[in-house]
Amino acid sequence: MQAEPGPARPGAIRLGLRLARRDRSAVVAGSMLVVLFLLATVGAPLAEALTGHAPEQPFSGGLTPAGIPLAPMSRGLLADGAPDPGGAFFVLGTDRLGRDTFVRLLYGARVTLVVGFAATLVALLIGVPLGLVAGYFRGRIDAIVSRGTEAAMAFPSLLFAIGLAAVLGPGLLNVVGVIALFSWYYPARIVRSAVLSLRSEAFVDAAIVAGASDGRVLVRHLLPQLAAPLIVYATSVVAVNVLTEAGLSYLGLGVPPPAPSWGQMLSDGVTTGLYRIQPWVAITPGLALVATTLTLNVLADSFRETLMPGGRT
Amino acid sequence: MIRFLIRRLGAVALQVVLVTLIAYALFFVVSAATGATPEQRVAGKTATPEQVARVAEILGTDRPVYEQYLRFLSGVVQGDFGYSFAYRQPVSNLLFPAAGVTAALVGLAAVLWMVMAIPIGLAGALRVGSRLDRLLTTLTQVGISAPVFWVAPMLVYFLAFLPSQGVFFGVDVGASVTVFPIQGYTEFSESPLEWLRHLLLPAFALSIGFAAFYARFLRALVREQLAQEYVLVARAKGLSIGGVVRFHIGPVVAPALIILLGLDVGATLGGALFVEQTFGLPGLGFLAVSSIRNLDYPMTVGAITLAALMAVLANTVADLAQAALDPRVRRSA
Repeated sequence: MQAEPGPARPGAIRLGLRLARRDRSAVVAGSMLVVLFLLATVGAPLAEALTGHAPEQPFSGGLTPAGIPLAPMSRGLLADGAPDPGGAFFVLGTDRLGRDTFVRLLYGARVTLVVGFAATLVALLIGVPLGLVAGYFRGRIDAIVSRGTEAAMAFPSLLFAIGLAAVLGPGLLNVVGVIALFSWYYPARIVRSAVLSLRSEAFVDAAIVAGASDGRVLVRHLLPQLAAPLIVYATSVVAVNVLTEAGLSYLGLGVPPPAPSWGQMLSDGVTTGLYRIQPWVAITPGLALVATTLTLNVLADSFRETLMPGGRT
Repeated sequence: MIRFLIRRLGAVALQVVLVTLIAYALFFVVSAATGATPEQRVAGKTATPEQVARVAEILGTDRPVYEQYLRFLSGVVQGDFGYSFAYRQPVSNLLFPAAGVTAALVGLAAVLWMVMAIPIGLAGALRVGSRLDRLLTTLTQVGISAPVFWVAPMLVYFLAFLPSQGVFFGVDVGASVTVFPIQGYTEFSESPLEWLRHLLLPAFALSIGFAAFYARFLRALVREQLAQEYVLVARAKGLSIGGVVRFHIGPVVAPALIILLGLDVGATLGGALFVEQTFGLPGLGFLAVSSIRNLDYPMTVGAITLAALMAVLANTVADLAQAALDPRVRRSA
């Protein structure tokens, strides 16, 4: 990030417009994220009302007589396996229990988005103050924080997360907490190294000479300088956290069933071996996950190019 | 170099103590919170309180926690990880073979992802903004976005299961083709060729995300170096761009790549469980997750400790390699 104070900081709207002009993929990714939010909030109940299928409702016609889920764009079956002309229509097919995958996918997006963003926020709330303090005061405080982050990074975090999630039991808040606990050290390190180099800038000395307290220097002078790297970082970490949540749900440690989440939908299809007979039970939730993380990653890339020109990728 | 090693060893010891301490604390909290104590677990639901007390005595769980922990720690130093509650045999009997499977899987994956990432990253860096670069950037973007627990079953389905049903890349060839086995593992000592055949697809599944990430990292590093003036000087003296990459940029970016490799190989040793699960490989992650579910504390703590130890080992090797390659690191240590 650039150290010398550049021209007056552009407002959020001007910045957004600049981003949009420079990078069409940012516009596409941004719109996709908005669409995803709309689908999760408004789209899910709307789809439920339109199809008349509740996310947790199994359909007897949603499975073949052999108990195999239906492929996308198929109509429910009669008891003898023949298509039921007046039967329910399944846009994205059905799952292991004959539930509507489309409705479940939309409701599952809620878990994905809530956990992805909330866990990132909590990690930032822990990591940023620690990094600020370590980089600003240096010395012993820095040594303690740095050794702490190094030790935390050396842990087999996935195994610990699984252990912890198993201890706490499944649940939305537990998942957020577990993910945040194993990701706070990245923002701490980023902020610390940025503050270490900003610390020797003239504007910090000027603020101190002018009588600003340590707290004021940290919050009013240093924190705003960190906005760019933190926005870039946070966007890409939401993507990582979306995958971590899916991974924990995949292992049965996320939001408890029958509430739908993408990781659990995926494991429902994969760990039962069902995907070999009906690959769609694995393809659909996986594609939803990839589309979401891809959107966030593309957005992070655009932020990086625009907010931190010349910065390392 | 010797001081460097001593400092590394000190850090290793500290990390081992911390990791085991937290793993231990975590699982004592569990048993305290849920009441599902290990002795109750081993003795069974119908056991009388006297029987449970005897089991606790045999297991050593009647001792104070700190005493159990110290005994565990002194055991680890001697390669003894205690006695598994669920499997009823020494933890190390299962732990070391599992660690071998995981190490082979991750090692093979690391080779694969480097082999994929280096050409992709270089091609992008040398032609920034070209059609090829944009294509590769998109591909790597997808690669880092796809979770391994989705990639792995998709690979199984399209490259192992469908061929076994006679369908190869959408073409019905009529006969069952077994290129990759769908599941399972063969010991190296049994048949090296079968061993490789069983590991290749899992390693490939594991390597895709890393290959994409490393390609992007390398592209950024090389791009940064290409803008330096020494490149201009070397080019002006008549060195080809390939020569610049080989003789100038390569040695500059290699240490950074190696450090990252050490970190990722280390982290993956404890985190390959999705791939191990999908392919039925009896690795460390697989063992750890089933032990967590079984409340088998010695096995769980042992697996976490061994994964952490191997991670520290991988990082130390990477640090040493970096010191050997980068004179600045060598001198400052």
